[in-house]
Amino acid sequence: MLKKKGWFTLLSLVLMVSVILTGCGGNNNASSGSNSGGEATANAGKNDSKETKNLTFMFRGGTDEQKAYEGVVKKFEADHPNVKVKIVVTAADQYATKLKASITGNSVPDVFYFESGDLKAYVNSGVLLDLTSYVENNPNIDLNNIWKYGVDLYRYDGTMAGQGNLYGMPKDVGPFALGYNKTMFEAAGIPLPDKDKPYTWDEFIKVAQQLTTDKDGDGKLDQFGAGFNVQWALPSFVWSNGADWIDATKTKVTIDDPKFIEALQFFTDMQLKYGITPSTEQAQTLDTYQRWMKGEMAFFPVGPWDMSTYETLPFDYDLIPYPAGSTGKSATWTGSLGIGASAKTKHPDEAVELINYLTASKEGMEALVKAKVQIPNLIDMATEWAADTTTKPANKEEFLQVVNEYGRVLPGHYTYNAEWYNLFYTDIQPVLDGKVTPEEYVKSEQPKMQKLLDKAVEQEAKSKK
Amino acid sequence: MSAKSGLYRKEKIYGFLFILPPLLGLLIFTLYPMIYSIYGSFTDWDGLGQMNVIGLSNFTDLLTDELFHKAVFNTLFMMLGIPIGITLALLLALGLNRGVPGTTAFRVIYYVPVISSLAAVSIMWNWAYNGDYGLVNQFLDLFGISGPNWMANKFTVKPALIIMAVWKGLGYTMLLYLAALQSVSRSYYEAAELDGANGFQSFRHITWPMVRPVTFFIIVTNIIGGSQIFTEMNIMTPTGGPEYASASVVFYIWQKAFGSFQMGYASAMAVVLGVFIFVVTLIQFRMNEKQSFDVD
Repeated sequence: MLKKKGWFTLLSLVLMVSVILTGCGGNNNASSGSNSGGEATANAGKNDSKETKNLTFMFRGGTDEQKAYEGVVKKFEADHPNVKVKIVVTAADQYATKLKASITGNSVPDVFYFESGDLKAYVNSGVLLDLTSYVENNPNIDLNNIWKYGVDLYRYDGTMAGQGNLYGMPKDVGPFALGYNKTMFEAAGIPLPDKDKPYTWDEFIKVAQQLTTDKDGDGKLDQFGAGFNVQWALPSFVWSNGADWIDATKTKVTIDDPKFIEALQFFTDMQLKYGITPSTEQAQTLDTYQRWMKGEMAFFPVGPWDMSTYETLPFDYDLIPYPAGSTGKSATWTGSLGIGASAKTKHPDEAVELINYLTASKEGMEALVKAKVQIPNLIDMATEWAADTTTKPANKEEFLQVVNEYGRVLPGHYTYNAEWYNLFYTDIQPVLDGKVTPEEYVKSEQPKMQKLLDKAVEQEAKSKK
Repeated sequence: MSAKSGLYRKEKIYGFLFILPPLLGLLIFTLYPMIYSIYGSFTDWDGLGQMNVIGLSNFTDLLTDELFHKAVFNTLFMMLGIPIGITLALLLALGLNRGVPGTTAFRVIYYVPVISSLAAVSIMWNWAYNGDYGLVNQFLDLFGISGPNWMANKFTVKPALIIMAVWKGLGYTMLLYLAALQSVSRSYYEAAELDGANGFQSFRHITWPMVRPVTFFIIVTNIIGGSQIFTEMNIMTPTGGPEYASASVVFYIWQKAFGSFQMGYASAMAVVLGVFIFVVTLIQFRMNEKQSFDVD
């Protein structure tokens, strides 16, 4: 009797352990969306179209954005009763880690966001599904009606990004336009900036100086011309002066170009010489952002993702082009996030269907634009949206001009990793503080960045096998 | 006889089964990744594709990697907080052990930071350190000192992180010391008093040796923890701080592994860090063995 009972306990213990173990494995299955576990169901699915197909969709975003995307996914499920979408969502700063960990762990979600800069690495190692045939032969998708800038970011022909097969669709494009506080201009009696003709650098300084004042007379400046975060705003000044961080072959770091030095000099002069921006001591990102929100700053960059937050600003704002350097042309960066599918997904048709719904369908776009988290991907819809000048900002047209005419990707996008580019900002503080001249800085920084770029180029060559 | 040995054997099996789940966990989630990353450290693995063995070149690259050297220096520098924390905690514990009124309340107050989430604490301190409207600088303002922008200045960012870490760990260390102090028998002090020892002498010859095992435990765990410091800087200085002044080794490992597709290189750093922790801990254990000889 005792013996029998003993073996029974033993058996249940073994069962318990195996349950625990499958529990661990089960997690993997779930996040890879029937990658390993669903072989049988996938095969069955081919015979019976009513079989439910499970997809995993991993994305990131702020609260407003999460809500908007969850809503669109629900709508997608309603339109596609045989597809179930499991959502995995993280805060923006944890996303890259989580995605890369799941790729390393071989449990890639079926559909997921990815940075355009990671495109080459993911394609070379076979992570991303080639969407070309699914998208180009799809009667429901008109690629000509989607921003070329955005679509091209996810093309890669094996050598250069920007051309060739399509490995992702733009979730959106994020033109980083320049905003100005209209109410402040009116109060100071300064003519409003032209919405199409950019200020020259000199004009910009003059206007900004007029608006940098001590309003309550306590000896401390409490209204500033502008507040620029070096990482996000410097590219605009460098590009519009005809310089760049990297050459056309994407193998040489070109920050020692005199045009580059001139732009960096101008950027630091805004604080050190003209005093139109808060000093480094006062200018943490959060801080300039708050000053803008409180109406204490004349110029501040505005992205489409800010629109829902800026609805409640206590002043009127509008968009203009960035001041133009020696090229006479305005420049700024345009961000984008791609949505791609796993090359190993068991349901490629449904995965691509979901991507298209989120990026290229009228239904999906309408819901997302209504949430004010992005500009429409569809050109016809965007034109109509921008024509409505009754909602803030009135000159939404500027966003579209950035995307169509003068928006660019950040230099790190072109290379296998962006380490070389990031180093530029890691060491830049002494320049902003005026302790190191821009010229000295680029001379000492160029070789270090070049070394990292060489490494990235070498890594890329290796990854092609 | 045979029945007894049967039962004995069965108990052995049960015993083994009961420790099996954690054992498996250890094998799968600790030992396997460890061996994998040791192997990875000899490869050029990018975290996605294939792994090519490239010998020791990751390790030789580390020798000339300026950012790695910075990260190592920062990590060691921030360990300055350990002796500060231990001293403060011991002083607090001594105070509380004297039975000041409200001991329980104080214990709770000092323990609250310990159980708070590190992420939340980091965000809170980030506000406090803000150069313009932060609590710290407003406080300094009262004495006419205009404080720096703590997190944006390469000279203040490390001390700022140390202060926060000490504050966060104080309650835990203090509680350990308090427990140790309370287990010291009163009779030693009475005997010392009869021999004419003053307060400091009692502390030096009774209290300090008696709480030594706790001190040893705290130092070992703090150094291990301090070598792996990461969350604070990841939240408070997401780019590694001004001129990389607040990047720790783990922060750099994380950047390399998940930021720039250099899992092999990151593994090499992890191995170096692991060896460092192992060696330091070993030395401490050796020192402890030697010293425990002359305690009595």
